[in-house]
Amino acid sequence: MPTRRDFVTRCLGAVWLAAPRQPAPPHPTPRPGVTGARVLTRAQLGETPALAPLFDQVRAVPQVVDGIRCNCGCAELPGYYSLLSCFEGDAMVRHCAVCQGQARLAVRLHREGKTLDQIRDAVDARFG
Amino acid sequence: MPMRHLALAAAAAACCVPATAARAQIRASERAAVSQTVDGTTFTVDYARPRVRGRDPLFGSRAVHWGETWTPGANWATTLELSRAATVGGRKVAKGKYSVWMVPRASGNWTLVLDPKPDIFHMSPPDSSAAQVRLAVRAEPAPFTEVLTFEFPEVTTGGTTLAFRWARTRVAVPLQVEPSLAVELPEAEAAPYVGRWTYVKRDTPDEKPVTIEFRTLYEGGTLKAEWLPADPYMQRFALVRVRPDLFFPGLYDKDGKIYEVMRPDMAFTFTRVGGRPDSLEVRYSDDFLAGTARRKP
Repeated sequence: MPTRRDFVTRCLGAVWLAAPRQPAPPHPTPRPGVTGARVLTRAQLGETPALAPLFDQVRAVPQVVDGIRCNCGCAELPGYYSLLSCFEGDAMVRHCAVCQGQARLAVRLHREGKTLDQIRDAVDARFG
Repeated sequence: MPMRHLALAAAAAACCVPATAARAQIRASERAAVSQTVDGTTFTVDYARPRVRGRDPLFGSRAVHWGETWTPGANWATTLELSRAATVGGRKVAKGKYSVWMVPRASGNWTLVLDPKPDIFHMSPPDSSAAQVRLAVRAEPAPFTEVLTFEFPEVTTGGTTLAFRWARTRVAVPLQVEPSLAVELPEAEAAPYVGRWTYVKRDTPDEKPVTIEFRTLYEGGTLKAEWLPADPYMQRFALVRVRPDLFFPGLYDKDGKIYEVMRPDMAFTFTRVGGRPDSLEVRYSDDFLAGTARRKP
């Protein structure tokens, strides 16, 4: 039976390794009035209901998550704006440990009272 | 359909033909590209691939004269692009795209030339200039290769080898990248982290936590760590510092060389009490808390 580490490594292999690591572009500016209305709901999560709490947490802080660049390579996808985009539409975060990790870290640090710049710095240190 | 509409439709159709189809042509030297990324630096060779077509021996013949400046390719000069500054054959080369030239010789070293102007037709080799990178390279006998080939046969954590093969000759040049992380840590900076820790491990949310020992030590200029009993996959590993108190494991191969830094797979974050690292969190890339540790008294 594959271990958790195997699983995480495979997810990374599919996304992270596919993207050559170039100098990261700057973090996006949160869009004025952005909401979490397009973040998928539990009912829309299909085969990944275990991620519902994370989606709920992100939906509650769109102004934070919208100010973070995703480092897994999905920033190159059409229609992408910020880490918030990973929770909308096709919600590729469902299959990407890096997207999930960045969002959990952002939510956790936001709850600890960190500013957006501090959260961005922590995300870059871990995932940049 | 009126003639004007027919003409517009024909023009639109021409625009819609895929570029590859529009340029389809049988060529003696088909274009190719190979690239290799090492620690975030990407090397890309773009070149045309002539065939020997019976012209053996090739070098020192009418095909490639001894002593002439020649692009190892055909038509438009072969190019080498570096996404970041790197070392080519021991010489520092700035980020950019260069045309590649060689001066083959009947005996002694050949000269490899990187010219800062990339778009040059093979009939107009550049004059020698101070802006060029010129290296002595060794041409060695090799098994016969019909089609001129560039490849990256070796890759390490710190570099790769760019090799050229054609006919019975091979030229290989080492490429070294700027490391993105420093594995070594001054002893004074590593010392506060060294010690024995009580580690509570939990690989999955459903797993019952297990308490084992974790050990951090300074060895060979590097802060290292291991679980006791040792993790069979990670064994004793380097703790590679990215930020103050934030480390990622660097895994060693059997020769004692680091072959992978597990970033962002596994982050080790120390928390200080009274200025001294006192506790530790280990998180996977999905931020799952896989372990916590406290320094043993």
